[in-house]
Amino acid sequence: MNKRGQIAIFVLVAVVIIAVFVWFVIRPRLPPSLGGADVNPSAYMRDCLRAELPPIISKLSTQGGSLAPDNFMTYEGTNVQYLCYTSEDYVPCTVQQPLLTTHVAQEIRREIEPKARSCMDALVARYEQQGYSVESAPRSINVSIVPGSIDVVFTAPLTVSKENAQTFRQFGISQSSELYDLLMTATSIIEFESTLGDSETTYYMQFYPDLKIEKLKKDDDTIYTLTNVVTDDSFRFATRSLVWPQGYGVQS
Amino acid sequence: MRRILLLGFFVLASAIAFASAATNFSATVCCEKTQTGAFCQNVPSEVCASDARQTPTACESTSYCKPGTCYDSNEGTCLDNTPQIVCNANGGIWSSERPAQCELGCCMLGDQAAFVSLVRCKKLSGFLGLKTNYDPSIGNELACIAQVQLQDRGACVYEFEFQKTCTFTTRAECEGSSKSSNGSIQNGVFYKDKLCSAEELGTICGPSRKTMCIPGKDEVYWLDTCGNPANIYDASKWNDKDYWTNVKDKDASCGPLSGNADSKSCGNCNYLLGSFCRSASFTQTRASYGDFICADLNCVDESGKARKHGESWCLSDERRKLPGENSVGSRFFKRICVNGDVITEPCEDFRAEECVEDSIETTYGPFAQAACRVNRWQDCLAQTDRRDCENTDRRDCFWKEGVTLGNTTIDATCLPKNSPGLNFWSGEDSRVVCGVGNKVCVVKFEKDLFGNEKCKDNCECLEPGWESKYGEVCAALGDCGAKVNYEGKRGFKEGIQVKINGKIRES
Repeated sequence: MNKRGQIAIFVLVAVVIIAVFVWFVIRPRLPPSLGGADVNPSAYMRDCLRAELPPIISKLSTQGGSLAPDNFMTYEGTNVQYLCYTSEDYVPCTVQQPLLTTHVAQEIRREIEPKARSCMDALVARYEQQGYSVESAPRSINVSIVPGSIDVVFTAPLTVSKENAQTFRQFGISQSSELYDLLMTATSIIEFESTLGDSETTYYMQFYPDLKIEKLKKDDDTIYTLTNVVTDDSFRFATRSLVWPQGYGVQS
Repeated sequence: MRRILLLGFFVLASAIAFASAATNFSATVCCEKTQTGAFCQNVPSEVCASDARQTPTACESTSYCKPGTCYDSNEGTCLDNTPQIVCNANGGIWSSERPAQCELGCCMLGDQAAFVSLVRCKKLSGFLGLKTNYDPSIGNELACIAQVQLQDRGACVYEFEFQKTCTFTTRAECEGSSKSSNGSIQNGVFYKDKLCSAEELGTICGPSRKTMCIPGKDEVYWLDTCGNPANIYDASKWNDKDYWTNVKDKDASCGPLSGNADSKSCGNCNYLLGSFCRSASFTQTRASYGDFICADLNCVDESGKARKHGESWCLSDERRKLPGENSVGSRFFKRICVNGDVITEPCEDFRAEECVEDSIETTYGPFAQAACRVNRWQDCLAQTDRRDCENTDRRDCFWKEGVTLGNTTIDATCLPKNSPGLNFWSGEDSRVVCGVGNKVCVVKFEKDLFGNEKCKDNCECLEPGWESKYGEVCAALGDCGAKVNYEGKRGFKEGIQVKINGKIRES
């Protein structure tokens, strides 16, 4: 074998070694595979849904907890839902969303449910393509916002069988988030706004070291932005309460 | 022979009577839902959504929009002033009176406490994996907190998976607990004021070089090998046997009199002094051991003055500081020092709110507190007595001598200390308000036999200071007259006119 042939073989071996190395490095980042007996439906569902949750939460957090605000004001190009509102002057606002945590959880559920179902359908289809027999039962999805996280549990009983049978019941994803505490603080602010017509943000910040509240009065509206300074999670909402019209309140 | 000079001082082109400009209020109804989606609003009928109920009365008087308490059975929280329809539509339980479920009591959550309802207590205990410990007989929050602080704390030693292990907790949690399979305590023996890392307890827990923050506590704590908190982080004590055996008070720890902000060696943070346990990534400094540090939360304000975390103070873009001489467009602001950042909170625009500030003396020095509050100028003009005018409990006005408005015989006027801003570029409001500052002065002259005129009545109107004096009055009424804006720019128009016998005087 001449010298050039030897070099070619060395180069070939080097390429193979690098390819194997790269494959080992990249492999965990590849989308979940459904091939063979390594199928992990939980991991597949987690990976399928994981990317969906952050944009939904981000949208809800800037829009006052609603995906499609109806009674809103516009701030920096975003429609922000009024959580407490009065159309009159000189009077405190009327609460518009008393069960805020439940409402936000329902909004997340409504948005993520179709995606979860399509992920599940894709999983079933892939199993069936590989010759598995799949039995599935009615599905339901539950979203809970708790201190420190947002949990999505997709209950979709699934039995896959070929030689052996395997049954799966629930698939869950959890995203770390301080939204719960922010929503509870927002509810407390709404209570002050509806009772006294205003709120004192300084006290909240003195009692809760991780909390930052930015309160901006713009025209007749007040925009609150609550932020957890440690995690940077935030929640923005609007109120219109105890409005003092400009001047003597005489309108043309 | 007498001559009469009609001297007029007009703030705007014409004065319009209040009555003529008053709005023709249309009757309102209680609307279940408006076209914009707002619930339970007192609005004109045409604003109401077509499929929504409406009643020609105030919402407080209707069955569906009556405000009451909305109880959230899931969270165990109660929200007052909630209309019935809004509460029920969202899955809450509404009642006109505050229900028994909303009664508050003391909820003990380990070494923390919350003054909440029973259902809320169960919820919070569930979040923390604790047994519900609720005492409805404790009637206020302070007593509730005090109750928790009285609890004994120490090492709780127990067997888990054939090993003698330990959890640092309260006596009640240790001796009253019976859970086990999920990793909690069973048949625990409590050692008051002992740490789990104490050698004498013979557990698998020992000292480590890791640190942690504990929810609800200011300081950085050492962490033992079982994940329990030990004493306050002090780099010099990392191998001190006594420091890893007995619980030490905050006062007996390093740097008890300072906040120890950004200290590499001491984790005795003090929230009141502006330091708090945070991940070292928050600061430029790294602790000698562990990943946590006392972060500096204090700030420096716009004038270079040091401000403590939580302090608030007033700021204004006002160019003139005399009473009633506010610049057009000026506003008050409240500034707050929070977590090392200064937040600006604008008070209501049009000077509908003003900022008030005071300072309280604390053991750590003065602590400034500010708030935006309503500018109470509305009834200034109605005051005819100096004491009433300057009564700061009731209103924000000042007494100006030597000027009269309207038909009063008093040679003084009560005016807003911070003149209200006006939407002068649209509507009639500013014409009405500023028109109040119009002044007509009838000066009488008398001619003697030689034809020389001599002023007889109201001669002060001819004095040089008269116009500027009334100029100040109209400036105090609102954004009226010749003014500068908050950027120091003069208005495009003169703002005032002086007419003599109906003819505009050339300036």
